[in-house]
Amino acid sequence: MNSLPSPINRRNFLVRSAGAGLVLGAPAILRAAEAPSKTLNLALIGFGKQGKVLFEAMSNIPGIRFQAVCDIWDYNRQAGVAKCYARQKERPNHYVDVDEMLAKEKGLDAAIVATPDFWHAPHTIKCLEAGLHVYCEKMMAHTIEAARDMVRAMERTGKLCQIGHQRRSNPRYRYTLEQLILGNKICGQIVNINAQWNRAINSSQDIGYKQNLAIKPDILQKYGFKDMHQFMNWRTYRDLSGGPISDLGAHQIDIFNWFLGTAPNAVFATGGNSHFKDREHFDNVMALFDYDTPQGQVRAFYQVLTTTSAGGGYYESFMGTEATIDISERSAYTNIYRESSAPSWDNLVSRGFLKKAAAPAPAASDSGDAIKSYESAAPEVYQLPGDLNKPPHQPHLENFFAAVRGEAKLNCDARHAFESEAPIYWVNPSALQKERIILTSEHLSV
Amino acid sequence: MKKHLLLTIPAVFVFAACGEKDSGSASSGGSSAPGGTPGGVKLVTELPPELIEGTPKPINEPNLVQAPTAAPEFLVPDGTVLLSKGKTVTASDDMPLIGTLDLITDGDKEAGEGYFVEIMDGLQWVQIDLEQSAEIAAIYVWHFHSQKRAYKDVIVQISDDPEFKNGVTTVFNNDYDESAQMGKGSDAPYVESRFGKIVDGKGTKGRYVRLYSNGNTSDEMNHYIEVEVFGKAAGAAAP
Repeated sequence: MNSLPSPINRRNFLVRSAGAGLVLGAPAILRAAEAPSKTLNLALIGFGKQGKVLFEAMSNIPGIRFQAVCDIWDYNRQAGVAKCYARQKERPNHYVDVDEMLAKEKGLDAAIVATPDFWHAPHTIKCLEAGLHVYCEKMMAHTIEAARDMVRAMERTGKLCQIGHQRRSNPRYRYTLEQLILGNKICGQIVNINAQWNRAINSSQDIGYKQNLAIKPDILQKYGFKDMHQFMNWRTYRDLSGGPISDLGAHQIDIFNWFLGTAPNAVFATGGNSHFKDREHFDNVMALFDYDTPQGQVRAFYQVLTTTSAGGGYYESFMGTEATIDISERSAYTNIYRESSAPSWDNLVSRGFLKKAAAPAPAASDSGDAIKSYESAAPEVYQLPGDLNKPPHQPHLENFFAAVRGEAKLNCDARHAFESEAPIYWVNPSALQKERIILTSEHLSV
Repeated sequence: MKKHLLLTIPAVFVFAACGEKDSGSASSGGSSAPGGTPGGVKLVTELPPELIEGTPKPINEPNLVQAPTAAPEFLVPDGTVLLSKGKTVTASDDMPLIGTLDLITDGDKEAGEGYFVEIMDGLQWVQIDLEQSAEIAAIYVWHFHSQKRAYKDVIVQISDDPEFKNGVTTVFNNDYDESAQMGKGSDAPYVESRFGKIVDGKGTKGRYVRLYSNGNTSDEMNHYIEVEVFGKAAGAAAP
């Protein structure tokens, strides 16, 4: 499992805003003023929805230059060129094909890969072998073998390869792990994890496009898409992606493994098509992971539902004998609950590690039929002392660029990402086979 | 029974205007009293299907008006027609980042890729030239509706001056903190949806309609899918 390459302490969390990207009210742009030691020349490979998200996250990062944009769709490519020009007043070169780009472009330092999952491994490996450092979106690949190839390519070429599990660089997550869970052990023993990413049906519809912008069929087929619907909605096809457990679940199951410092030893999953019956991937998946940690057994439940927003969006909940931490990329979902039997946290509050939330409103009185003697006292609610006020992907990209300059260590290189992602590749097989899978080194290693 | 407004073309408009139930039109909706011109006819236009993508981002705007759950009801003077279809659009940013300005008046209001134009961040405007002065009854705006978000500093103005220096009437302004430095607005920020936003033109006379915005709650960019201007061209015959 990943070590903690650049520890973040409470003081850093509160004060080291330039490096860590943290908050206390100042606008993000004020904290993007560090002079870089070298301007990095970048290629943007894939400028669809996620490519645009990454571009916006890079827009406040100094010391980078967008030299080339590559995308098979004119619509995306033109947008990439226009956005780069607007930012840097220099038009980047643009390409349909990665091979052509790598053959013609000189002086590139790194590539940002945000193509569909089944292109991640080919594009990443080509770039690594061309001498570029690579930031590649997660999930690493659509198959575990392709992900293994990426790790091997990174280690063979000696180039950096950061995988886009952006929570690994999010100060909220790093502070929670390093200071609260490991440093002050506020959870006691973590015994269970519960997490979800639930989306309403109306947020899970197929992505549309204007018909006159369609890519020519021969171009689509050359790049592995049978038609425009598949190009726009590749996340729903089994040969092109891992489906919702990969698209959404990977971010959060990565946190399970990162926070626990180990991979699960078994997974049992179930899934099906409750609503989107024509989709190749399950629209609802639930998975149980078993862990053996130095502290003891941990069971983790994860659900990704694309048919309901029930349960309030997306978060991870680490349940311990002394506290439960609810954490999310959304600060509103992040709270810490102290068990009434846990030692006082007054000292942590006075030292600024936590802040106590306002007491919640008392629960409405019930009808009197509840057996109150079975209930536990309501936990006290606490919150983190600071927050992130940058786009969520920005700190992870900053970490990548700092590593390229030799100023930092990657927070999620391909090997560590693989170790964390490997169990996820076995969720869909478990659900399809309706069998619990014991995860051995054969399943989890490169 | 009030008459429905009959627009110039599409069959779907006529279909809706004939009183058939059509969830894809804006001819019926909320239970509160309709806005617009008392005693007028219902404004009817084609509404796009709902298509929301991804996980919504938080919206932190004061006095935020949530998206409607049904088509808004709005009354306009009898004889009102769609004036803006296919009309020329200009903008403060003449090099859109995504799409082209003509998308704003092309009649397509869908949420997918290729239907919207994205222009630069910061306070930007788009301007529709109606080609002749008109009494404007309503401006129907769809910024972007595949994600719940609110656009900032939405200001809508009407003028006969293409430079908007003289004879400018502001018919909508939700710049509550005066960040656009065009005067403090009293209208509320609102969540985008497929139902669009109807701005009351109040019969203001003008040839040009200019719409400002200053980014949105999801990103810093400015977007438009469609703007429809309804009214009566100067000299139009009475119905």
